[in-house]
Amino acid sequence: MQQFLDTTLGGLVLGAVYAAFALALCLIWRSTRIVNFAQAAMAMVTTYIALSLINVDVPYWVAFLAAIAAGFVLGAVIERVIIRPVEGKAELNAVILTLGLFMVLHGLTAITFGVQHRGFPAPVSTSAISVGDTSIGITPFGILTIVVVAVVMAGLVVLFRFTDLGLRMRASAFNGEVSRLLGVRVGRMLTLGWALAAAVGAVAGMLIAGGDLVNPAFMDPFVIYGFVAAVLGGLDSPIGSVIGGLILGLSLSYVTGYVGEHLAPLVALGILMLVLLVRPSGLFAAAAARRV
Amino acid sequence: MFAVEDLSAAYGPVKALNGVSFTASRGQVTAVLGANGAGKTTLLRTVSGLVRSTGGSVTLNGKDITRTATEKLTSYGLSHVPEGRGVIAELTVVENLRLGGLHRATGSEPMPIERIFELFPRLGERREATAHMLSGGERQMLVIGRALMARPTVLLLDEPSLGLAPRVVAQIFDLLRGLVQTEELTVVLVEQNARSALSIADHGVVLNLGKVVASAPAAELAADEQLRHAYLGF
Repeated sequence: MQQFLDTTLGGLVLGAVYAAFALALCLIWRSTRIVNFAQAAMAMVTTYIALSLINVDVPYWVAFLAAIAAGFVLGAVIERVIIRPVEGKAELNAVILTLGLFMVLHGLTAITFGVQHRGFPAPVSTSAISVGDTSIGITPFGILTIVVVAVVMAGLVVLFRFTDLGLRMRASAFNGEVSRLLGVRVGRMLTLGWALAAAVGAVAGMLIAGGDLVNPAFMDPFVIYGFVAAVLGGLDSPIGSVIGGLILGLSLSYVTGYVGEHLAPLVALGILMLVLLVRPSGLFAAAAARRV
Repeated sequence: MFAVEDLSAAYGPVKALNGVSFTASRGQVTAVLGANGAGKTTLLRTVSGLVRSTGGSVTLNGKDITRTATEKLTSYGLSHVPEGRGVIAELTVVENLRLGGLHRATGSEPMPIERIFELFPRLGERREATAHMLSGGERQMLVIGRALMARPTVLLLDEPSLGLAPRVVAQIFDLLRGLVQTEELTVVLVEQNARSALSIADHGVVLNLGKVVASAPAAELAADEQLRHAYLGF
């Protein structure tokens, strides 16, 4: 029972981390219909920016906010300079560009900060919480991770569902030409979509790095797991991304806890294949809309 | 007064519009007619800035709006309903309407969504449906309603009858005629269905290969048998 509880709690925290990353992927998909394979590398860059600030004694939460701001700017610049020239062209062009960007950001970070592992602090304890004499499989940082992801998800749901800005962003992504005819500045909305996604990605990077070691490749596994979580929940749905992340986190945690860690990537791949075969639009995606 | 003067446009080396001129008056429907490829849709897309003009001008109430950014035209009071019933299929009826009201003609009061539901009661019944669930006629009502949310003075309508049953076309055109009178709109109606369009239009402009070949009161065009046979197909 103790192992089941520990595995479940660990899976929830892991799932929250995947969910944060999946949310960033979902945001870019919602705003530009592009799968951004550079998302992990962008989050890695902003995490390094935060680490640099922390290393010169800037308080953790100030560095956290600075990473979000840096992510926002980085996302906006990448959209305007790299993605904008291929928008409206074949979708594969932008996807290939994001793969190239992934490698460029990797290389630049390695050149700037080195490839060695560095410790990244956490704002709260990363030791398991004890109840009486028994320690349970969750840490204060794990609880913080779950809370932050829930707040980010709620914020995105409010933005997209209840605000005019969110409506403009969704409309721009779904039908740019009609949106322009209705007075929406589509280019600005697309830039904002990338900026927001990169800011959410920066949050994910900070949560993944907290209390752990970072190097330029530390976010790479999350390209795969975050993508699986987003596809599982539905790339179009922020709530779906979070639930997809939690399902994936729990599944991988149970596999790791009861079968063996080496099987986890295979299970992730199996989940991805199953979703693509049975419900390609994801568990929580709205019914597919026909272009009319 | 909405006026197009000597407007030209091209797709690469192919001239799609060649010196098109006409005026459309307030409270009137001006039908732009012609066969496939005559340049009707290009005319509207050029007015809206979706296709770059190579010459000529477009004026609205004396203001030159030629080459104005597409996004700004709603603030000048010009709304364009594109061909193919351009609903945003993934949004609900209410969201489509809300979107239409976000960028209104400068100085205009917001249009209550309930007013659109009074004009199109069927939309009110389906307010929470996503647009891809709507029938063709409902989608056409939605895009017209969405355009009205911007409080336009000029409404450009591209082939609203396309793919609709004759009964639905008659219903849409009746609504349109009523709107022109109640809202004092200037409507430029691009149509292949010349007979239906002329039945509600005050004035007609016939295009062929990007040029105006006739411009006259709608009743005159409808009575000109030679013109009807040559260009209008009825």
